[in-house]
Amino acid sequence: MNQHPTRSSAVRQPTYADVNRDVIRTLWAPSPTYFGWMSVVGLILTAGILAWTWQIYIGMGAAGKRTPQNWAMYITSFVFWIGIGHAGTLISAILYLFRARWRTSIFRGAEAMTVFAVMTAGLFPLIHAGRMWFAYWLLPYPNQRYLWPNFRSPLVWDVFAISTYLTISVVFFFVGLMPDIAAVRDASTGWKKRIYGAFALGWEGTDRQWRHYRRAYGLLASLATPLVLSVHSVVSWDFAMALVPGWHSTLFAPFFVNGAIFSGFAMVLILIIPMRRLFNLYPYITDRHLDAMGKLTLVTSLILTYFYVCEAFTAWYSGEHFERASLFWKATQNYAWAFWLQYFCNSLAPLVLFSRRARTHTPTLYVVSILVLIGMWFERFNIIVPGLGHDFYPYTWGIYYPTVTDTLIVIGSFAWFFILFLGFIKVMPSVSIVEVKETLPHPVKAGHH
Amino acid sequence: MVKLEGNPDHPVNRGTLCIRGQAGLQGPYNPDRLRGAMQRRDASGALRPVKWEEAEKFLVERLTGLVKQGKGKRIVVVSQLESGSLGRLLDAWAGALGAERMNYEPFNYEAIRHASRTVFGRDAIPHYAIEEANVLLSFGADFLETWLSPVEHARAFTRMHALKHGKAGTFIHLEPRLSLTAANADEWVQNAPGTEELLALAILRVILDEGLQAPGVDIALLRAAASKVDLQSTARQSGVSGEAIKHIARTFAKAKPGLAIGGGVAGTSAFAVETQVAIHLLNYAAGNVGRTVRFGPDSAFGKAAPYVGAQLLTQRMANGEVDILLLIHANPLFALPAAGGMAEALKKVPLVVSFSDQPDETTQRAHLVLPDLHALESWGDFSPREGVIGLMQPTMAPVFDSRSAGDVLLSVGRQVLGTPEGKGPLRWPAFQAYLKDQWRGIAREYSPATPFDQFWEESLRRGGAWKEIGVVPVQARSAPVQGKPATVEGDPQGLTLLVYPSHRFYDGRGANKPWLQEAPDTMTQVTWDSWVEVPAEVAKKLGLRQGDLVKVASPHGAIELPAYISESLHAGAVAIPIGQGHTAYGRYAKDRGANPLALLPAPGPAGLPFLSVKVSLTKTGGRRPLAIPQATADQDNRELARHVTLPTARELELRGAAPEKASHPSMYPDPKYPEYRWGMTIDIDSCIGCQACVIACKAENNVPVVGKEQVAYGRDMHWLRIERWQEGPAGHPETLFLPMLCQHCEVAPCEPVCPVFASYHTNEGLNAQIYNRCIGTRYCNNNCPYHVRRFNWWDYGSPTSSSHAFPDPLHLQLNPDVTVRQLGVMEKCTMCIQRIIAAKDHARDEGRLVRDGDLETACQQTCPTQAIVFGNLKDPSSRVAKSSRSPRGYHVLEELGTRPAITYLKKVTREHGKA
Repeated sequence: MNQHPTRSSAVRQPTYADVNRDVIRTLWAPSPTYFGWMSVVGLILTAGILAWTWQIYIGMGAAGKRTPQNWAMYITSFVFWIGIGHAGTLISAILYLFRARWRTSIFRGAEAMTVFAVMTAGLFPLIHAGRMWFAYWLLPYPNQRYLWPNFRSPLVWDVFAISTYLTISVVFFFVGLMPDIAAVRDASTGWKKRIYGAFALGWEGTDRQWRHYRRAYGLLASLATPLVLSVHSVVSWDFAMALVPGWHSTLFAPFFVNGAIFSGFAMVLILIIPMRRLFNLYPYITDRHLDAMGKLTLVTSLILTYFYVCEAFTAWYSGEHFERASLFWKATQNYAWAFWLQYFCNSLAPLVLFSRRARTHTPTLYVVSILVLIGMWFERFNIIVPGLGHDFYPYTWGIYYPTVTDTLIVIGSFAWFFILFLGFIKVMPSVSIVEVKETLPHPVKAGHH
Repeated sequence: MVKLEGNPDHPVNRGTLCIRGQAGLQGPYNPDRLRGAMQRRDASGALRPVKWEEAEKFLVERLTGLVKQGKGKRIVVVSQLESGSLGRLLDAWAGALGAERMNYEPFNYEAIRHASRTVFGRDAIPHYAIEEANVLLSFGADFLETWLSPVEHARAFTRMHALKHGKAGTFIHLEPRLSLTAANADEWVQNAPGTEELLALAILRVILDEGLQAPGVDIALLRAAASKVDLQSTARQSGVSGEAIKHIARTFAKAKPGLAIGGGVAGTSAFAVETQVAIHLLNYAAGNVGRTVRFGPDSAFGKAAPYVGAQLLTQRMANGEVDILLLIHANPLFALPAAGGMAEALKKVPLVVSFSDQPDETTQRAHLVLPDLHALESWGDFSPREGVIGLMQPTMAPVFDSRSAGDVLLSVGRQVLGTPEGKGPLRWPAFQAYLKDQWRGIAREYSPATPFDQFWEESLRRGGAWKEIGVVPVQARSAPVQGKPATVEGDPQGLTLLVYPSHRFYDGRGANKPWLQEAPDTMTQVTWDSWVEVPAEVAKKLGLRQGDLVKVASPHGAIELPAYISESLHAGAVAIPIGQGHTAYGRYAKDRGANPLALLPAPGPAGLPFLSVKVSLTKTGGRRPLAIPQATADQDNRELARHVTLPTARELELRGAAPEKASHPSMYPDPKYPEYRWGMTIDIDSCIGCQACVIACKAENNVPVVGKEQVAYGRDMHWLRIERWQEGPAGHPETLFLPMLCQHCEVAPCEPVCPVFASYHTNEGLNAQIYNRCIGTRYCNNNCPYHVRRFNWWDYGSPTSSSHAFPDPLHLQLNPDVTVRQLGVMEKCTMCIQRIIAAKDHARDEGRLVRDGDLETACQQTCPTQAIVFGNLKDPSSRVAKSSRSPRGYHVLEELGTRPAITYLKKVTREHGKA
């Protein structure tokens, strides 16, 4: 394993000992490159935090919102990040239940991504609220004012959907990590050992523990599975329950769920491709994995295209003036560039993944994934900003212009996500030691009976 | 003082106010108002505060010096038109000191007066009884904006024009520009600028040719005037077809009575007097004189000094013949064309004394500033026309250390004359005493039988005294007319400049009021700036886009303004409103737009020549986008503002069909309203787009002013807006005004989406908003199809904020019954819930329910045409319940199933050419 492997198919099957060594190696003292990345991301994050502080101090006017775009990039990014968070659960829970064994080497990264994406998404409702210091009023807590949230409001549904999702994701993530933390504990010394020891919750790898662990993991997977469908459905109802032309559609829930998974896969690819290179994880994250991910991305892209067609067809076929005018405006006027960019990124670019060579050619895969992320961000942008820009009332039609403040906050949210992820890969095994071992042939001792 | 409302007993306004009247409070509470006496001690020095006693002493010394030398003529007292006791006091004061006295009024209708003198031998401006006319024919008179008495005219116009019992008058308006008044016309006829006289004579000619004149008129006299024109050449020169002229003539002559009026730009051309002569003759020919055109009661504007006076004064000043100039409520540096040379002449006057309470242009150049009290802080009276005298008493303590100009003049005058209090020509201790003394004379005239004390008390309580004035019969005489288009100076290839008074700023005195700056000009919807209206064809030729800076140059000067591209302006004209372009006058007015008077020649005998020059336009390459809150005037077939034709409306009225109810079945039970269900109807047939309601709402509800950039970016805070929609050909559209405010929907889309119940439905049918519960998700405004909700993007309320909207002492105007909203919350129309609560409290004290008419919303209260009706929909006998069942009723976007509590009544339109 000393020479740099160019094609992982040529790599020798690793042994259990290799797995332990290779994975735990990723937790060693970071390289200058790592610190370089950390400082870049940290700087951007600081700028974002300063921008948010400014916005809280001076008022929501610092962000470019206006009438009619009372919502803009914050809600766009909120939906985007929630969407990103979907692939993680899909890969870890649904694929686990379906026993898709190729998930083993990527699900840890995907799960971490889920948790961090939901943590990022969860910031946006706060950033977005005009009086974020009262955002806790969204929670149903007993209070002397006898005030309760309005359970008819999709925003309250969001609170429940997202907090549930975050809870389950964190628990699932942690349970999956437990045996690996124990492995790290065993490989480390000093204060690190104590900390990992505490998080390992006394894991010893006994049969009894394994039996309980398996059962718990299965149960959690079953619990998490419906959330993949429900969370983004609920988020989509923020729009579908509203009256705005282009929003008020029953199409939204499946449309959003599929889009979420689509973007989530793209994000997983964006994260694991460099991780594989950085930590030399070629034996574990093989071309087979990338191929499978590429296929799923392609499938979800095709489904999404179908929804796009449905969306346009419904608007046209409804014969409703408001819907038609809104769609026509989006496609031809000020925001047409964003509209067509979305179709290019989400419907056209992924078509190259029909080719197996493209699916295993990491630069292509990487570029497609980035395009998909851009496309999916703009999909939400197109629903919100141009959608609101040309609604029922011609008097107030208008164009939204981003400001420095809201742009920095949105960019800062990416930095927040990446800083969490970068931190994670240095403190926790980013490939599951346990599950990778399961896919390997059992080590056979001499004199095996 | 929280809000201004008219006196319901006053015969002119009947309790309503115009947009400028509503904004009046921002005068005394203006943050840039002068806070005390000021003096410039040396020529180079700045104005510095000075004690009142010292200031008076200084003035007395200087005046005494001149009076003792017998040089009283070197003292000149200039005021605006003061038709009450202050004016008389100024006359008396000037008389006592041997000083010169003159008044001037920027818009003074001298041409009408002149024409009346020549045609009817009466030196006066008659009363135009618009409400009694069946056909109103206006030659450019902007009677719904600034002409003579717009509030009174607006009410009269509605009474004449609105469909009532199957009858509706017709309004034909000739003007090169689609003004607010033109937009209200049933037939707007676009004529070439300066052809009004020609058209009036051509119409007269048709009347005579077809024998449509009233019986008993002097045909020879009329014929002499009318024979100056012929139909064909008039049609060619004016751009109005012969058919149209004939049609107008027939409609007008057959009206019995009709009414022809003239004014606006048309009334200020080189042939202004001749135009008014021709209009007088038209009225005479149609038999309107004595019926709709009445001498007695005459308008107070007839008393304004001729404009020539201003020019003569300027010359005297330039020649160094004036030593002391006293300016009472006059700002000649802004309100006179620079070509007159006032700025230079003013430098020659050794002592300029201004009594203005605002830092206007002339006051900035004064040597001594003695700020007068505001009308609300002082005693006063004003007579807009014969038979009506309003009496004012102080309604608030002075905000700053100002003193009544009357008091100061009396005291100074006595000191100069050396007479003690109680003796001599200026014996009164204070202006109040002088005023009361004056009213003894008024009492003898108005109510000779009543003891004076009783009359005085009654007048104070009533707010004035009024009486009927008999009509004076007049006989027409022949008068000279021109019979050709008005001459215009400048490059013949250029565009005729139309300078017109703004209905928001009048002559510019409104520009320091942020409410007026932020209220959109109805026809262009422009806020905070001024503009040059460029015809689309010209703009295309010059490659101009809206907001491109244009240099407008005339033989007298040049100014730079952003272009407003107009599809409807006459292709040979450009138009610029008066009022902006102040170089001083406080933070809200200073350096905003440009003053078009800079392009005009010095005033001539007929007053300010607003139509007198041709200008050339040059694109400068710069841009200054205009802040226009209305994205488009095209309804995109959404039927927000609707109309029916007159025959259909008549038929509907006969059938009495109730408005179609949108059928949106719901699984939810209908809301229950135990006592009241508040609702409103707005008759867009009556709405003239004057915007008074917009300011009334701002004043009543502490709505902040946000500034140009925020308005341009869709963040204006108006709870109520007047939308202007246009249909039909862009060059000649049908204009519909739609006042839009929270619709208080029964099924309100904003309510279910609010996660914290900040937006909820009361059991009185109001869609309420709890400011301190709102967390600012703004979901409600996304979901409001009307977008009438307003979000506090910035911190307008707190004094420490950089966006603070109520700088000291503007905060004193804030309504204590209404919360000043904080940063990050949503707000919107509450249907003046504070007034509802007050009315309910009052009713409860009397052990009853609120009765119809117990309360009016702020917008309803001030509407000059009473287009807005508010009340309890549950009471079937209430006015609002009745009018909401009108066959013309509809709801905006009713297909969405929101079930608004506001019912609009469709505008009644006349088919063009068939009016």
